Parts: sequence; structure tokens; C-alpha cells
Amino acid sequence: MAEITVFSAKKIITMDPNCPEATHVAVLDGRILAVGDASCAEEWTAAGHSVRHDDSLASAVLMPGMVEGHAHMMAGAMWNFAYAGFHDRMDPNGKWWSGKPDLDAVVRDLSDYEKSLAPGQPLIGWGLDPIFFSGERLSREHLDQISSERPVAIMFSNFHLMCVNSKALEMAGYDRATNAEGVVKGADGEPTGELQEMAAMFPVMRRVGMDFRGLSQTEPSIRSYGEVCKRAGVTTITDLYSQMEDSDLLTLQAVTGDAAFPARLVPVLGVAGSDPQQAAARAQSLRAQSSDKLRLGAVKLMTDGSIQGWTARVKWPGYIGGQANGIWNMAPDEIHRMVAAMQAAGVQMHIHVNGDEASSVAIDAIAAASRQHPWPDARHVLQHCQLMGVDQFVRCVELGICTNIFSNHIWYFGDQHIALTVGEDRACRMNAARAALDAGVHVALHSDAPVTPLGPLFTAWCAVNRQTMSGRTMGAAQCITVAEALQAITLGAAYTLRMDHEIGSIETGKRADFAVLGDDPLAVEPMALKDVPVLGTVLDGRVHLA
Amino acid sequence: MSLPQQSLPRLPMTVIGGYLGAGKTTLLNRLLREDHGQRIMVMVNDFGAINIDADLIASADGDTITLTNGCVCCTMGADLFMAMGDALDRRPRPDHLVIEASGIADPARIATAARAEPEMAYGGIAVVVDAQHWLGLADDPQIGAQIRGQVAVADLLLLSKTEKGLPDSLQTRLSALSAAPQIDLPTCPAVAPLLLGGIAPMEGRHTHPAHPAYLGWSHDGDTVMDCEALAAKLAAAPHALYRIKGLVRAPQGDGWEVQVVGRSVEIKPAIATVTRTRLVAIGPQAMITKAAVEAWWSGD
Repeated sequence: MAEITVFSAKKIITMDPNCPEATHVAVLDGRILAVGDASCAEEWTAAGHSVRHDDSLASAVLMPGMVEGHAHMMAGAMWNFAYAGFHDRMDPNGKWWSGKPDLDAVVRDLSDYEKSLAPGQPLIGWGLDPIFFSGERLSREHLDQISSERPVAIMFSNFHLMCVNSKALEMAGYDRATNAEGVVKGADGEPTGELQEMAAMFPVMRRVGMDFRGLSQTEPSIRSYGEVCKRAGVTTITDLYSQMEDSDLLTLQAVTGDAAFPARLVPVLGVAGSDPQQAAARAQSLRAQSSDKLRLGAVKLMTDGSIQGWTARVKWPGYIGGQANGIWNMAPDEIHRMVAAMQAAGVQMHIHVNGDEASSVAIDAIAAASRQHPWPDARHVLQHCQLMGVDQFVRCVELGICTNIFSNHIWYFGDQHIALTVGEDRACRMNAARAALDAGVHVALHSDAPVTPLGPLFTAWCAVNRQTMSGRTMGAAQCITVAEALQAITLGAAYTLRMDHEIGSIETGKRADFAVLGDDPLAVEPMALKDVPVLGTVLDGRVHLA
Repeated sequence: MSLPQQSLPRLPMTVIGGYLGAGKTTLLNRLLREDHGQRIMVMVNDFGAINIDADLIASADGDTITLTNGCVCCTMGADLFMAMGDALDRRPRPDHLVIEASGIADPARIATAARAEPEMAYGGIAVVVDAQHWLGLADDPQIGAQIRGQVAVADLLLLSKTEKGLPDSLQTRLSALSAAPQIDLPTCPAVAPLLLGGIAPMEGRHTHPAHPAYLGWSHDGDTVMDCEALAAKLAAAPHALYRIKGLVRAPQGDGWEVQVVGRSVEIKPAIATVTRTRLVAIGPQAMITKAAVEAWWSGD
């Protein structure tokens, strides 16, 4: 007979209302056999199982493994490049990289990093966000101080801009004669080093080997993603616009099939621009390839852009600066056709919607498809949902649509939303988790890593406190409780992935997936929720300490 | 990823824009079938509507179909720019890359790469306009701005579904947004000259006669021009000369490689020293005469 492992903990937060707290959890074959006190497994010994007590987590608090319903695999392998962002940030190996408060710090820190590179190797950086710097813009003069020998290219955090040094400009053939939109020139007629949009960045990326495809799907990238999860207490994570080719499937299966890989991976196939019927057929065939730790078969649709880039489609009265309304990445009737095809084929959809015009179109499309092909338990998910009001949440309830809310935006971009995008009143009801819960929608909360760092406890903190970087509370009426936030980052997110019967709570029969914490998130001050230490995870009963 | 090789000829890239259902795929099917003598690589989002006769297919594997005429049709996969890099790295390098932009996309966001990338030449933006539906789309409160934006960046406007006639204000509305020539697709005898231009007059390349419906003009001489004079000359070319390309000698440096599509003039430094000024141009026979072209080129 198999051996039962009984883990003891300082406290176990179960998210199961029948037994909200416990001190012990018994695990058999990777699943939860019993929850309770030290004797919880005893009734099973009669069946011939032996019991082993594991007290290695006795001083920790356990909660259900956290579920990130919206992140991207490159959150791991981005760290192959030098970090140039404003905030302190931890890499997949647990090393903290200090934030760069100004351009001097960018130059100083990257100059140190440069010394670690082999001769001839390009220096590639990421994460720089100029909206946090006042005054001077990053230019090739700054980056030439880091190196004049090797190419230096820094990708900005929005992935729409980069800045490169003179060597990189030279490699791409950019000079005063270059006549291409996006190659920014200074008053002297020479390129400043700033390159805007992919068409202008592509010649440099091609020559310095900045390959975004290589940041996903390869074995090191997948493993790196797993390390990021472990350190964030995440046991199930999406890759929410997977660009996997059929040839990538074997790698995904091999890596996730390794018991040492610490996460369940949910790649969601990006289908923008694809033929709807073919994309639906591909999703169906991928679904059949799923395994315990690799869940395939859902798709991701695009609609609009981003609010802070003024490319989200927003309803009247639009952007406060008078900017033109945003852009569609899929046109509304294209969205309707794609939604209809997926609904007909029984393929679950995750739909990117930032602006409220985009969410309105997505809801309309699902409503129309539902009349043609009723599927009440489809659990389609609107992703981001940043400007949705009560009216739209109510429609989601009526149609069985879930919402995954981008709470991290409140802290990272809240001040910008107030000052520059939608203004005070609408910013105060952005990412309205309270309104969504009150309407009765199924709610998850997300980071969109690497756009913001993976860390569901931080995400929960954002939804609970709604504090911005400047320290103000943005829309106190939309705050939710710590218990509600913890529910959203476990069972709530599991529901959106159609996995709530397996994960999301610590109760008998579910998979033994836990987050191992250094403190009790329900006992600390709500303002300290983000500071609760994550010590690691348990997946299928196997301990993965950070 | 192989290193850029400057010795290869530049890869001209043409982007086909236009809303869903305008007829982009029909246009690409036509292009692949025509006798143009070029090894074109056509990149589409997916093969959904691409319909290539079985007897034209030499081989097909997954995301690439190779035709018996040397053309290749492939899906761009998830990352268009990476696919562009793959096209540049392909050996032999294709003669021309044609990319189908997705329905709502701004084709200029793709085409700009051909201006920026030293190994590419700007082959222009051709936007397919559905004559029956465009006005309605252009006034749509949700997508109108993007539909009008596509026309505004076009170098050539290709009007489809014109058999039932043109709505009254269509040409005026289009003209207000773009100075690009408006070409009637159903009566257009050959689309390759429009989308690709003539064969670039490189040394050692075979030539392929222009379709009889087009005037093909070529020049081979000693003319030397600096960049400004050349730009001014090309900007003054007859409007019906839809495409001009070739090499021009310069007073200093290696010389110039030029690509003119519609009203767009692109001049890049030549890859190798230009010893003769050689140009080819095409325009519809019905709209232009050789004499008019000669008068433009030899005039002051």
C-alpha cells in the first residue's frame, strides 16, 4: 500500500468553508486525502496505508497554491537580459535586482553588468519605463557610456520602444540619411538612439539576436517560468497568448512531465488573425494532448490595445487629453466571427478587453454566439476588464462570463490614469473588483507578468488597498476584503481555468498544491499583505522550497 | 540567425492591406498564378482562403507551400517580424516578399520595416478597397478611423467589386485621403506589375517583358545625380507611372537604389558601386506614353 504523508503547519488556510482552518494535511499519490489535525490520516490506516509525518513545513502557513490566470511565459526568460526597470524586482533565481530611479542609475548599473559579458556579446536590457523619469530622455549618448564596443539595446517595458547605442545604430545602418518612421532623429539630424515600434526596432533586434520567440517554448524558458512561479507561491499558471507551434508540444510535455517542474502550465493559444474554423480545430486537437500539468485547449482573442498607451477602445467621453479613441487589433465583426466559431466548437475563450467599448463588444459577441449555440457553462473569461462598470458585470452574470481583473494596474499606473488617461472619476472605478463581486461575477485577479511582476499576494494587496505609487487610495468604494482577494487568487482563478474541481482549495480529493508562506495573510494588517514571505510551493505533494 | 549579408540584393517588400472581405486573398491568388518570372514569397496569416491549384503546387509542408513557378506561400506564424527575418535569411533569397496584413491592421506598421531594414527595399503598400462596402466601413463609428487610416497610408489603391459600378462619392472620398492612384482590379489585366514592378535591372539578371497592357519603360545611361536632385526628379514623375525602380550613379559614394510606388519615393545607398544608371518603370498603356516618360526623364 502507498504511503500517506501528513504535513504539519503552523496554520493551514483551506478556502473550504466546511473547515476553514487546519493544522495538518494528509497527502496520498499527490492528492489531498484528509485535512484536520495530526490524526487526520488515522482513519485510513485500516486500509493498510502507512503514515509518514513531515514536519519540515511546521513553522510555515499553508494556503492553496495560488493560481495566476493571466501571465506570459517570457516572464521567466526575460531575465536572460539585463533588468533596467524602475522598481526593485526578483529574478527566477531569487536574486533581487535594484530598481533604477534615474538615468544615471541605468548607466551605472548596466555598466557593471557589461563587465560580466563575454567579448562581442551584445548587451540587451529590458523593463525601462520612461514615464517614471522626469526630464531628460534616454539616448545613445547615455548608452555609449556603457559601451562603445559592443551593441547595447534597452527594450522599454511597453515593448513599443527601445533605445540603442551608437554601435547598434551602426550595425542596423541607421544614420542621418535613414528615412524610416520610428527612427527618432535629434536637432542635429542624427538618430538619437530611440526607436519606436517594431518596424524600426526589428533591424536592431535581428542583428543583436533579441529573439522573443526564444523567450517562450524552449526548455530553459519553461523551466525559468517554473522558478518564477515557485518564488511567487503559484502552482498553476497560464501562458495567455501562447504562440506554440506543433513542434513545441513535445518540449512542453517533456518539461511539465518532469516531477521536478513545480507548476501546472495552462498555455492558451493566441488566435488573433487566424481563420476561426482552423483555429478552433487546432484548439480542440491540442485539448486532447493535455496532461496533469499541461492544460491545453483554450484560446485567447485580442480586441483593443492598452489604456496607458491610449490604444484601448473607450466609451464616451474618451481620453481626457482629447486623444483619438484607441485601435482594434481584431475588428468587432472579426471578434463576432471568432467568438461564434469557438462557441460552436466548444472552445473556451479568454478575451483581452481593456477599454469599456472593447468589453462591450466582447459581451455582445458572446451573447450573440450563445443564442446560436447555447453553452451555459462555457466559462469564457474577459481579461483585464479595466473600465467595466456595473452594467457590464451584470451582463457577465447573465451570460455566465468570468472576469479576470488587472488589479496591479492600480498601483503601477493608477496615478497616470488619473492624470493622463481617463481622469479621476473613471480611474476610481477602474479594475472594479468590488462591483464585480457584488454583481455576482466569478472574479480572478492578475499580474499580466512580465508587464508587472508575478506575485498574487501583491495583486491581492492591490485589490484590497487600491493604493497607487504616490500613496493615495484610488476608489476606496472598490476595495475588497483580504478573504475575498485570497479567494480570487485561488478558487476564483481556478474557476476561470475550469480547474476548480481539482485545485484552488485544500480539501479532500483535490490535488496537493499549496503555497508555503512565512506569515498568515489573514492575520497581518491588510496593508502588509504584499509583505507576507513566500517560502515556496508544494505541487502534487512534492515540496519546492524557494 | 545568420548574419546579415550585404552582398545579396535587397529584398523588396510589398504589403497588401484592406479590410476583411475586400479581396486581398483573391488578389494574392491572382498574383501567384500570373506569369511574372519572379520568385515571390507570399506571407499570409493562415492558408484559410488561399486556394492554389493542385497542379501548381510542387510541395507542401505545414506552414509552407512551394509552387512549380518558384514562388513560396507561407504562414507568418505568431511573430510577423521574426518571419520577415526568416525570409531575409532564406537562401536563395526570394526576389520579392509580399505580406498580407490582417483586416484591421495598419499596413504602414509593417511596411516601415522595409524602409528601416538595410537589406530590404520598400515595395509599397497596396490597399484593396471594396467598392461596394468601403464607404459604409469608413463611416463606421467603431472602425471607421482605422479603415480611413489604411487608405491614407496606401501607395496604390486597388478597387475591387467594381462590376456593379462605383458609388458616387467613393473616388472623391478616397482622393481626399490619399493621392495614390486608384486602380480598377476587375479590369486590371495583370496584378504582378502593380505589386512587384518590373524586374530590377541588376547585372546578370534575366529580364521579363511587362504585360502588354502596361507600358514598360527602361533607361540605361550615364546620368549622375545627387540625392536631392534624384528625389526631386522622381517626385516629378508622371502620376500614371505606378512603379519605378533601379540604380542611379552618384557624384560621390556607390550610388543610389530607388523604389517609387505611387507617390512614395524611396532612395537608399546602393549596395555595390553603380557604374551605369539603369531604371525600369511601368504604368498602364491607356494612361501614359513612352514619349511622356522620356520627356519627364530627359527634361530639367
